[in-house]
Amino acid sequence: MNDRNLARGLFVVAISLMFGLGALRYEIGHLERPGPGLFPLMVSSLLLVIGVFSVVRSHFVERVPITFNPKNIAIILASLCGFALISEHVNMIAGIVFMVFCASFAGTGNYSVVRNLKVAAGLVAVALAFQKLLGFNLPLY
Amino acid sequence: MDILHNLAFGFEHALTWQNLLFCAIGCTVGTLVGLLPGLGPLATISILLPLTYSIPVNGALIMLAGIYYGAQYGDSVSAITMKIPHASSIVACIDGYQMTLNGKCGLALFTAGVSSFIGGTVAIVVLAFFAPLLGEVSFLFGPADYCALMLVGFVCVSFVTTGSLVNGLAMCLIGVLLGQIGTDVNSGAQRYTMDFPFLAEGIGLVSVALGCFGIAEITKNLDNKDERTPFNGKIKLMPTWPEFKRIIPSALRGSVIGSFLGILPGGGPVIAQFAAYAVDKKVSKYKHEIGSGAIEGVAGQAAADEAAARTSFIPLMSIGIPENAVMALMMAAFIIKGIQPGPNMIAGHPDLFWGLVASMWIGNCFLITLNVPLVRYWLSVFKIPYAVLFPSILFFCCIGTFSVNNNLDDIFITAAFGLVGYLFLRLDLDPAPLMLGFILGPMLEENFRRALLISRGGFDIFVTRPISATLLGLIGIFVLWQLTTFIWNVRRSPGAHRIPDDSPAPLEG
Repeated sequence: MNDRNLARGLFVVAISLMFGLGALRYEIGHLERPGPGLFPLMVSSLLLVIGVFSVVRSHFVERVPITFNPKNIAIILASLCGFALISEHVNMIAGIVFMVFCASFAGTGNYSVVRNLKVAAGLVAVALAFQKLLGFNLPLY
Repeated sequence: MDILHNLAFGFEHALTWQNLLFCAIGCTVGTLVGLLPGLGPLATISILLPLTYSIPVNGALIMLAGIYYGAQYGDSVSAITMKIPHASSIVACIDGYQMTLNGKCGLALFTAGVSSFIGGTVAIVVLAFFAPLLGEVSFLFGPADYCALMLVGFVCVSFVTTGSLVNGLAMCLIGVLLGQIGTDVNSGAQRYTMDFPFLAEGIGLVSVALGCFGIAEITKNLDNKDERTPFNGKIKLMPTWPEFKRIIPSALRGSVIGSFLGILPGGGPVIAQFAAYAVDKKVSKYKHEIGSGAIEGVAGQAAADEAAARTSFIPLMSIGIPENAVMALMMAAFIIKGIQPGPNMIAGHPDLFWGLVASMWIGNCFLITLNVPLVRYWLSVFKIPYAVLFPSILFFCCIGTFSVNNNLDDIFITAAFGLVGYLFLRLDLDPAPLMLGFILGPMLEENFRRALLISRGGFDIFVTRPISATLLGLIGIFVLWQLTTFIWNVRRSPGAHRIPDDSPAPLEG
């Protein structure tokens, strides 16, 4: 059933259960001497009430379809993770070049290698300025 | 006389070459980034926060404040010229954009600039008088009162920013729960860390902010295939004398409204703009023109916007409780620089507090002298294709995240929050209340536990203390009113199968 309101309610319920059940693993303590689990348990219980309310409410409001376009978010996340991995194992300049070339696949216009090279060169220059002028500790090379 | 003496002391600190430079950089960079599509003040501050890491405390806070009002101004420029609104400039789109369509873009931009200056100046006077007073009042607050105050903030921010109490509160509570990740300071127990050592100190604020705002906004713009036509209209900035005379009363009205609404929990620029616009529509001499491109429609809201942006520093600096998401981020920036905002800030760091107050006025001058005449050049930002912009924004997100701890693992956390932010976006959940919950969560828990310790486990402490009882009573009345409205609307339309989702009935504003 494609309904954004219902999905929202279920999402909130799932988060509340995740944190609420997790809180039970910690000491709850007593009200006069609360343990580390008491506060998250109380907050997640309140969140559960809100989530259930949202689910119930979704039956009374107009259904709104939910749309997902996984391509763009997947490309953006891949470029971020690639940047981190390459910066760690090679250096950050290579990471910047990878990020620009990978992220541009998510762009709306046509893919241009020349434009990507120019953007990457500009960003490397900015990174160098950050390192030399502002004292950022960037593993550029 | 004390105030004048303190202000002079503040100007002494703010008027050093170094601080002037930081203020100018903050205003300029803030304006430039604030102009970019999809980047409001919250995202701008998140992205530019790392720029301040290597700067001395005074300069860093002055620069951040400059970034904030620079972003506010940049935001209104993009709203007036291109009708690209963010939360802080929705009202500017109405008459401001209409003026642009009528060929009066320059006048609209001049009006916004001058009104912002007036609003900012009035607000600084209010700030200088009220912050120390409120600071003294805040010594009356106990742990239970702080808890109640934070809950009032949650309810107000939830309702004002999202328009839906249920959705906003859910986001606040998710933020509070995310703030629980890490080591519990009272017992030393590690909560929700899944045995990952890098989670022992909790999730970084910058990762959450950049993921939920920066990354999610980029993806939204890419999904929407936002192709903006660059603004190419002519700009004639200087108004005629009769036009100039119309700006002043409206700007003064907006300044007073904005200064007042900026102090209230959940208040701030958005609500102030709407209130000022509504008042102008009622009382202005040219009220019949408002809505179709009137100077008053821009002046009042711009002054209110700027005034509220300034006075929303009052609760943060005097009580230590941020009243909206932007201030929550500013609070985090204060803490990163080793300053705990609160009643002791004014007494403990007078140079910082009064220097910041003075720098606000200097920032005002920078905005009007640098940005207003240069606005035609700022608009060239719109000519940069998004295909070039978004990899650059991603780069700043990565550098920003990395620079907090010089740890590349933090970029993975930012990416994870980018995905979470994208889900929030698709589920129509506004992440602004989440930020407030995330930053105030640990403070709420600490005060809650203290209150229970003092009362030996009794919840009566929350209703026997006058401040806390009053605040909780207000929350109760508000929630009850919302619930009654929902039930009333469901009953009123029994024939209709479903209430439209955008109706104000189901706990929505």
